[in-house]
Amino acid sequence: MKMEDMSLSGLDNTKLEALAQDIYSDLVEDACLGLCFEVHRAVKQGYFFLDDTDQESMKDFEIVDQPGVDIFGQVYNQWKNKECVCPNCNRSIAASRFAPHLEKCLGMGRNSSRIANRRIASSNNMNNKSESDQEDNDDVNDNDWSYGSEKKAKKRKSDKNPNSPRRSKSVKHKNGELSNSVNADPYKYNYNTGINYETLGPDELRSLLTTQCGVISEHTKKMCTRSQRCPQHTDEQRRAVRVFLLGPSASSLPDADTMVESDCYDASDGQVLMSRLQWDGSSDISPSDSASSKASTNNSDSKKPKKKKKMSLGLNSTGGGGGGSGSGGGSSSQSSLVGQSNRKKKPKLPVPPAPSIYDNLN
Amino acid sequence: FDLSRSYGSAPCIPTRTVHVSSLKIRKTNVVSVMSPAGCPHVNGFKVDNWKQNLRVIYQCFVWSGSAETRKRKAKSCICHMCGAHLNRLHSCLSCVFFGCFTKKHIHEHAKNKRHNLAIDLLYGGIYCFVCQDYIYDKDMEQIAKEEQRKAWKLQGRFFPLFNPSVGPSGVGEKYSTWEPTKRELELLRHNPKRRKITTNCTIGLRGLINLGNTCFMNCIVQALTHTPLLRDFFLSDRHKCEMQSNSCLVCEMSQLFQEFYSGHRSPHIPFRLLHLVWTHARHLAGYEQQDAHEFLIAALDVLHRHCKGDDNGKKANNPNNCNCIIDQIFTGGLQSDVTCQVCHGVSTTIDPFWDISLDLPGSSTPFWPLSPGGDGSTLNGESHLSGATTLTDCLRRFTRPEHLGSSAKIKCSGCHSYQESTKQLTMKKLPIVACFHLKRFEHSAKLRRKIPTYVSFPLELDMTPFMASSKESRMNGQYQQSVDVFNNDNKYSLFAVVNHQGTLESGHYTTFIRQHKDQWFKCDDAVITKASIKDVLDSEGYLLFYHKQFLEYE
Repeated sequence: MKMEDMSLSGLDNTKLEALAQDIYSDLVEDACLGLCFEVHRAVKQGYFFLDDTDQESMKDFEIVDQPGVDIFGQVYNQWKNKECVCPNCNRSIAASRFAPHLEKCLGMGRNSSRIANRRIASSNNMNNKSESDQEDNDDVNDNDWSYGSEKKAKKRKSDKNPNSPRRSKSVKHKNGELSNSVNADPYKYNYNTGINYETLGPDELRSLLTTQCGVISEHTKKMCTRSQRCPQHTDEQRRAVRVFLLGPSASSLPDADTMVESDCYDASDGQVLMSRLQWDGSSDISPSDSASSKASTNNSDSKKPKKKKKMSLGLNSTGGGGGGSGSGGGSSSQSSLVGQSNRKKKPKLPVPPAPSIYDNLN
Repeated sequence: FDLSRSYGSAPCIPTRTVHVSSLKIRKTNVVSVMSPAGCPHVNGFKVDNWKQNLRVIYQCFVWSGSAETRKRKAKSCICHMCGAHLNRLHSCLSCVFFGCFTKKHIHEHAKNKRHNLAIDLLYGGIYCFVCQDYIYDKDMEQIAKEEQRKAWKLQGRFFPLFNPSVGPSGVGEKYSTWEPTKRELELLRHNPKRRKITTNCTIGLRGLINLGNTCFMNCIVQALTHTPLLRDFFLSDRHKCEMQSNSCLVCEMSQLFQEFYSGHRSPHIPFRLLHLVWTHARHLAGYEQQDAHEFLIAALDVLHRHCKGDDNGKKANNPNNCNCIIDQIFTGGLQSDVTCQVCHGVSTTIDPFWDISLDLPGSSTPFWPLSPGGDGSTLNGESHLSGATTLTDCLRRFTRPEHLGSSAKIKCSGCHSYQESTKQLTMKKLPIVACFHLKRFEHSAKLRRKIPTYVSFPLELDMTPFMASSKESRMNGQYQQSVDVFNNDNKYSLFAVVNHQGTLESGHYTTFIRQHKDQWFKCDDAVITKASIKDVLDSEGYLLFYHKQFLEYE
């Protein structure tokens, strides 16, 4: 068949159809040929085997479709113990608590400015434990994440015997509840009536250390009388004091739980506060945040030393009105508080100078 | 040694067995003997000006760049013995002779003249009559590739933006599959365990830990990681970071895709992502306004700003002229026409958008009736008379002409005075990914509530009736839009649905995403389960993500 110019106008339908069919089958054949060349080259160049995979791998990644498990065949809700490291303060935080931590850590929450304020106040006063402990308690009260905790805190105020030297009960921190070991009332704070370890014999020490935190304060030289899950001290410190007091064989703590199972109380906050008795401004929570404390921190106007980018969302939909916003919560039982918790908070009283109970220590 | 980074999401080598009679497929260790799979007989050819000769052969007879070359090829390339112009025509490399392969005319020539090499005119493969097989010589293949590229350019072929090898101007290189080096082949041969992404594969799916009421973020992350174009962009390592610090959100996004395709089954903890978004979008932080839609817009904005490093993003400083991947995928143009009621002059503005927020029936602003003077289109097969409100109803309402009223008179440049006017919104340019936001959360002065009205949305959506161009046709008197079945520009497919359960004060977000064409999965923070299409379409719907079905050449 020589290639020649041909007019289509004179042809009837059957001829046209035959032509179309010819062209079509030519195209298909050419496409198949291309495929053959691809395969041939792959085999000859030696990479054809790459398409293979092993049976085991295929099975490993098969989608599972069964009730009660996810597509990987895993049971739901087994991820409670995940942790991560905060990019801001480099502390290890429980993953499910990371967001509220980050909010405070970056100084963006409503309460962060109050905490910062308090720090300034405490650093201006005598740097003794009582102040920071009070901050600690305030942090607990500041907590948005557990709406019920404030109610319970108020209730407990009257229950406790403020002069009791011991808090021997270790209480599990449950979602929404305040632990018994933290006294909400700053004025009745008494954990540092403390115990002087030098006056106790080894047996007494040993029995004491089975129920109490026991970490020795650098300032007062007394042992901490809080529970073994006391948030002011780390497990490392507790282990160290046991080694110190009882010898190397006594280094293990009966309760090895380092992570307090709590959705309401950020235990690590207490530790940080303790280590910052000297406020040197090295934390990311800058005191300058407090400048905006009057205004609601919703505006997140914290004047951080970092370069602040101007948010310009020019690309809004013009379909009328601002977009609606709903607050999406997590699957935990906490309800997200939309402006309610402010009303129910205790009014913050100014931090008093050295309360009289501490005079007893010396 | 992460193959997925360069390999893309699926190998291009077919899995079917191919029976080829004339191609010898010998599974010998050819690779270890010589590299690449060439043959010694080419040495006789590689003398004098062979490179230029070969180029000419490719230019004239194989890769036809222009219309003339194509014509010339069609007319002159016929078998010198039987006149056939197909039948796997080959050209002799040593002289001007065309012979067809099927009838062995080229073989005869090779035997008679002892010209051992011939080239297939369709695909440019070199055949050696001594080896009796196609051979792959590195130098000759190099020439073939170069000539092919030139020919593509001459043809004016531009490759679509989702092609990983496309540069900013759109002039494309032909997509070439990844080829392993010798060393890589060795490694791969010694490590046969490989994950292959088939339809029944979990790779690409992963749960996300809730960091404390952060499901609003998780649901958006799931939608983004299952946006095909975005996935392809990141898996082919297209982001070149120019940010000095570690705080580039695009880099984090890239990392996120690596996590999703890692094969890990345990849920990912997106704490770095949260940290980055909150440091770059301060207005979001704090727990007052955690709306998924807001998060989406803020995240897109930060990503868009951080894309400066990519070739495509060089003009990022001018928001109207940015060509970063975010803009390429998500940015559409919304046309607003304000018509003066007196002189009928039209003032048009076009604004970029990332999403379309649609009012729903049940809110305090009345939904029905839609504007009179109907557009007559029941393109998506629905009408409000039949029951549930549809997405199309919402879109029709969105694009209806609206009388602005006497209290909102516009200064008309034609009349030089304030006049009443009507305003109408239409789509000037549709983005590749269209996100519809159903305004379920009402925050008026009197009340704050969630509107739970069910809105039915389709799997496939045709946006033609809502385009500015359609409106022009209507205005020109063509009231009944004939459906152009060959116009695929405006056809969209649903690929992700974000749902909100609960009340305004406390709720939970989940996402349905589409994977592997027609498989749907429900993403509920850390738990991913299989879902049916019915589950998806029956759900309430808060954010609906549609992807253009056909990606055209630009």
